[in-house]
Amino acid sequence: MKKNFFLLALVAGLAWACEPTPDNMKLLDQLVVQTHYDTEVNFTDYATYSISTDTIGFISNANPNDTILTEHDTPGYPRPVLTQVGTNLNKVGYTRVEKNANPDLGINVYVVNDYNLFQQVVYPSYYYPSYYGYYGSYYNYPYINTYAQNTGALVVEIVDLKNIGADKKVRVLWTAYMGDVYSTIDLVQQSLDAIDQAFHQSPYIGR
Amino acid sequence: MKKIAIIIALACGCGLVQAQDNYFFVNWDINTPMTNTNWIGSTSTRGIRAGYRAIIGPQRRFSAGLDVGWATFSEYKPTQTFQQEAGAITTDYFNYIYQLSFAASGQYYFHKSANERFFSYVGMGLGANQNKYTVFYNIYKDQHAAWGFLARPEAGILLRISTRKRIGLMAAVHYDYSTSKSNDYNYSSFSAVGVSVGIMSMQW
Repeated sequence: MKKNFFLLALVAGLAWACEPTPDNMKLLDQLVVQTHYDTEVNFTDYATYSISTDTIGFISNANPNDTILTEHDTPGYPRPVLTQVGTNLNKVGYTRVEKNANPDLGINVYVVNDYNLFQQVVYPSYYYPSYYGYYGSYYNYPYINTYAQNTGALVVEIVDLKNIGADKKVRVLWTAYMGDVYSTIDLVQQSLDAIDQAFHQSPYIGR
Repeated sequence: MKKIAIIIALACGCGLVQAQDNYFFVNWDINTPMTNTNWIGSTSTRGIRAGYRAIIGPQRRFSAGLDVGWATFSEYKPTQTFQQEAGAITTDYFNYIYQLSFAASGQYYFHKSANERFFSYVGMGLGANQNKYTVFYNIYKDQHAAWGFLARPEAGILLRISTRKRIGLMAAVHYDYSTSKSNDYNYSSFSAVGVSVGIMSMQW
């Protein structure tokens, strides 16, 4: 009887002390926001930008055939996210123009699924082999080191359309990674707050 | 032949241990970190320590034994922005230390008679511990585990509930110093002050 009592105390103690983890509600109530920029660029040299109105990109290991998220497919997410990015760009002095009006900056917004972005080496600056047209071109993006299931990040990029190279490559000037968007308490509001934070911690952006 | 000799030696050893006065204890362990308190300074109530001590000599002045302990330290850090070389990262996060310790210990008891119900003691434990320094942010986790040498001076009291019962209460204060080091989280060593209270099963 006494032995059982001690064993019970020991097991209860172990369960209590071993490796408890933090409260999920507290952990997941805001996204981690990581921003990165090209330190050689002067953001005041740009005046206009172009951004999609209701479509964001989607890159997934789980479903490589899905390349975009439209407002029609996922109502209530792409449009508010894109609007929030635009609002922040307008606030810092850039002017939105149509895609065919020679914008200085292009804005990419996409969700990456099943890549653990925060484990990656962040490259100082990098180039796309092509820009605009289809989101499938993002498969050339220089990450995929660590694989984690059911994770995802919302990514916003500012690319330089004013100085396109002779080989038609464009340079990424700024990137914001916001995650995890697959484990949120309130996906839309947390995404909008994260976008605001991304611009807030990047005071060098603007005219 | 060698195997038989080992078995006989072990059997004799076990017999000796069984024949000796001894006690086994399970304690709730409360610890307050003393180093790098900016990282975690909060008192941990999630700790347990268990051990076995064999009494040496008929006067019950000395004992020797083994302790094993588990403790979890944690602290929530509100949202902060960390500047990086070409950017920044903003998040709230939790710092955790998962601690596992093993110590061989010796005690000296203060009492007038070997048959008293109340014993006070001082002791020293030497051993090893592992600290897993862990940061949780959103779904992400960074961790660095480090082993170190452990020194644990301790003072405590034992109270036998009655002379007829072989069960008692135990309380102790201890100071843990460990060389468990983590450059990632700015720990050159780790130390904590702890209070433990619990029950013991006495064999005498």
